[in-house]
Amino acid sequence: MSLDMFGHDPWWLILIKILVVFVFLIVSTILVIWFERRVVGRMQHRPGPNRHGPFGLLQSVADALKLALKEDIMPTLADKAVYFIAPIISAMCAITAWAVIPFGPEVSIFGHKTALQITDLPVAVLVVLACSGLGVYGIVLGGWASGSTYPLLGALRSAAQVISYEVALGLSIVAVFMLSGTMSTSGIVASQAENPAVNIFGLEFNVPGWYAILLFPSFVIFVISMVGETNRAPFDLPEAESELVGGFHTEYSSLKFAMFFLAEYINMFTVSAMCTTLFLGGWRAPWPISIWGAANTGFWPLLWFMGKLVLLMFFFVWLRGTMPRLRYDQFMRLGWKVLIPLNLVWILVVAGIRVSSEQEAGTAKTLIIGGVILLAVGVIFFYPRRKQYQAPAVADLGVGGFPVPPLDLKVPPSPRTKKIAASREATGVSASTTTEEEG
Amino acid sequence: MNPALTGVLADGGVTTGEAVTFWILAPIALAGAIGMVLLRNAVHSALSLVLTMLSLGVFYVLQAGPFIGMVQIIVYTGAIMMLFLFVIMLVGRNTRDSLIEVLRGQRVAAILLGIGFAMLLGTGLARGIGSIPAVGLAEANVNGNVEGIAKLLFTRYIFAFEVTSALLITAAVGAMILAHVEKKPGEKMDQKVLSRARFEKGNYPGPKAGPGVFATSDSVATPALLPDGTFTERSVSKVVPARELTIAEARPKAVNGSKEYGAIK
Amino acid sequence: MDGYLGSYATLGILLLVAGAFFAVAYTANRLLRTNAPSAAKSTTYECGLDPAGGDWAQAQIRYYVYAFLYALFAVESVFLFPWATVFDALGMITVAEMGVFVAVLALGLLYAWRKGVLSWTTA
Repeated sequence: MSLDMFGHDPWWLILIKILVVFVFLIVSTILVIWFERRVVGRMQHRPGPNRHGPFGLLQSVADALKLALKEDIMPTLADKAVYFIAPIISAMCAITAWAVIPFGPEVSIFGHKTALQITDLPVAVLVVLACSGLGVYGIVLGGWASGSTYPLLGALRSAAQVISYEVALGLSIVAVFMLSGTMSTSGIVASQAENPAVNIFGLEFNVPGWYAILLFPSFVIFVISMVGETNRAPFDLPEAESELVGGFHTEYSSLKFAMFFLAEYINMFTVSAMCTTLFLGGWRAPWPISIWGAANTGFWPLLWFMGKLVLLMFFFVWLRGTMPRLRYDQFMRLGWKVLIPLNLVWILVVAGIRVSSEQEAGTAKTLIIGGVILLAVGVIFFYPRRKQYQAPAVADLGVGGFPVPPLDLKVPPSPRTKKIAASREATGVSASTTTEEEG
Repeated sequence: MNPALTGVLADGGVTTGEAVTFWILAPIALAGAIGMVLLRNAVHSALSLVLTMLSLGVFYVLQAGPFIGMVQIIVYTGAIMMLFLFVIMLVGRNTRDSLIEVLRGQRVAAILLGIGFAMLLGTGLARGIGSIPAVGLAEANVNGNVEGIAKLLFTRYIFAFEVTSALLITAAVGAMILAHVEKKPGEKMDQKVLSRARFEKGNYPGPKAGPGVFATSDSVATPALLPDGTFTERSVSKVVPARELTIAEARPKAVNGSKEYGAIK
Repeated sequence: MDGYLGSYATLGILLLVAGAFFAVAYTANRLLRTNAPSAAKSTTYECGLDPAGGDWAQAQIRYYVYAFLYALFAVESVFLFPWATVFDALGMITVAEMGVFVAVLALGLLYAWRKGVLSWTTA
């Protein structure tokens, strides 16, 4: 499997592949909306859509048709051209990224040998990054062109979020490039097929080739930032209904809104597919199945690829069903002060280990480098970052006699309590009960 | 692009696809550049520049430099233009260029200098590569375009690379510090200070009347009517500009479909 | 569809097909959707209230700071990507070079951090 095999398909084969990917994306968007509603419903002890078709499967089809046939409203204050083009940019960028996602190995279609992938480039992963970078324009322009303040604020928020987590996403991929030595998606999948021998403390053993295991920190960072990148719960601040009405697409309706919707879901598939390709072995069968020799040939890998994709989609839905929304400042802090510094340090750690392990006496050096870097990380992260809260020594009695109750307020016992307690002692009612009743 | 250069490209074996792409995208790139200067709306102007940058990215790919093409798209169209857009949005939508020139003769000077620079660049390029056939491209990309660039960057041009980091961080930190208002320790309004201020004599600590309460209209811009029949300005948020309501606005709204429906505005 | 540009041409075809898809979808939408415009419908959406004020709101300057940081890190990752593919062949010296590069950036960032630029709420 090498890059040379791409770019030789006849035009009809390319068209077939492109159409198949289009149909796949649209059908799976509809299915995943149903899936999400059913699973979230299950998690919240309710049935979810179950009226139209078996298991309510046709609910999303009906919704999609209805949405597309709704009246299209062009706000008076909108910037017409930009308002029109913004959802197209969003959806276009989301779809383009799928050009380089590998679905499977080389197969034979109508007598032509071709890979189950539209195309591959020496810079394929950068194409995906470029697409998600350009996709931000859809959000920003949509919000701005609506001619309303809520979408504008929603767009700024959303864009700031996406670009922040895109940095973390991009940096977490660097470690993958370091081990695979290539930026082509098919190359990265191929490089995860090997079981590299690792020498730890003099013991040599083979580890599985998935980068999710070899580069676990990168994997974790990628997964966190892919949720942030797609504006999904718990990072769904751009559509925080209680604050921003609906975020950047408040003014959109009909097909234009449907395009944003489509783009959001396709972006979810894109990041899931990238996660699968970069970290979970791509279309290659997972371990117990991979013992069967034919598992990684023919059209079987499509099944493994889809399986991993569905699992990741389930993960997205699971998060949505479980986590409350983060506060914006906490969210930005997580991105810039935790994920990115951690990522940079981790990249240098991997580089150090990798280079030193190739030279003689690698283990000792590795340990030293690793130790030094871990120490540095520790100093950076656990350096006293905020002052400890100190309770004021004197209770605050408020301003100008206005009753501002201090936090450590102790209500002095009422002088009457003693009297009443004394009079009731005979009847057996405790003093504390009386105090409560009077207070 | 001048004819000499296209001639060179033709000599170097330009495929039809390459030529077609070039002749489609070159006018688009030029139109974007011209639109950037001529369009009045700042966002439209920035978008034209995005178009130009994108076309340039594709040109790099056409010239067998896929990595630099993607970098063009990620860094320039993605990051730098996004920064432009953010600034435009923070400044506001209708801040259009004033047509009054502050510097006299600025426009003429700019046009003259622009033409001069274009001529200088054009003749320089034409002289520099007009008669040289393109060689060594396959050689440079033999181990892959990315690897080729990386090898040069981290061996021969290492100093420039390191200086870039210093340049980058200086610019970034400078901009960030300019945008940042540093507060002295005492200046911070914490909960206690705010609470004190609220209950200070002369301030009314109770909740403000909600806008629209006892009002003649639903609008947030309409001040609430107090029981004694006077308006209370406290009820209108300071960010909402004061305005007079027209009779049509103040009138109760008709439902969708009734005859008076179009009367609003 | 051969040679170096073949793979990129495929990408171009995908873009064209996507363009055609949008053209078809929008035309179908235009033909099939209901259309009953009115002045009230096309006012800014304010949950039924009359919109007041313009279409622009003051936003925090921090958004700009983060956009700037994004540009900075985009450039940094663009340098990291090619480095990641060759550092193996060039050895320890390249790792050290990248370490210096990252350290210079980190130093600047640390300065901004300590100044409190990176915290969303003013502390």
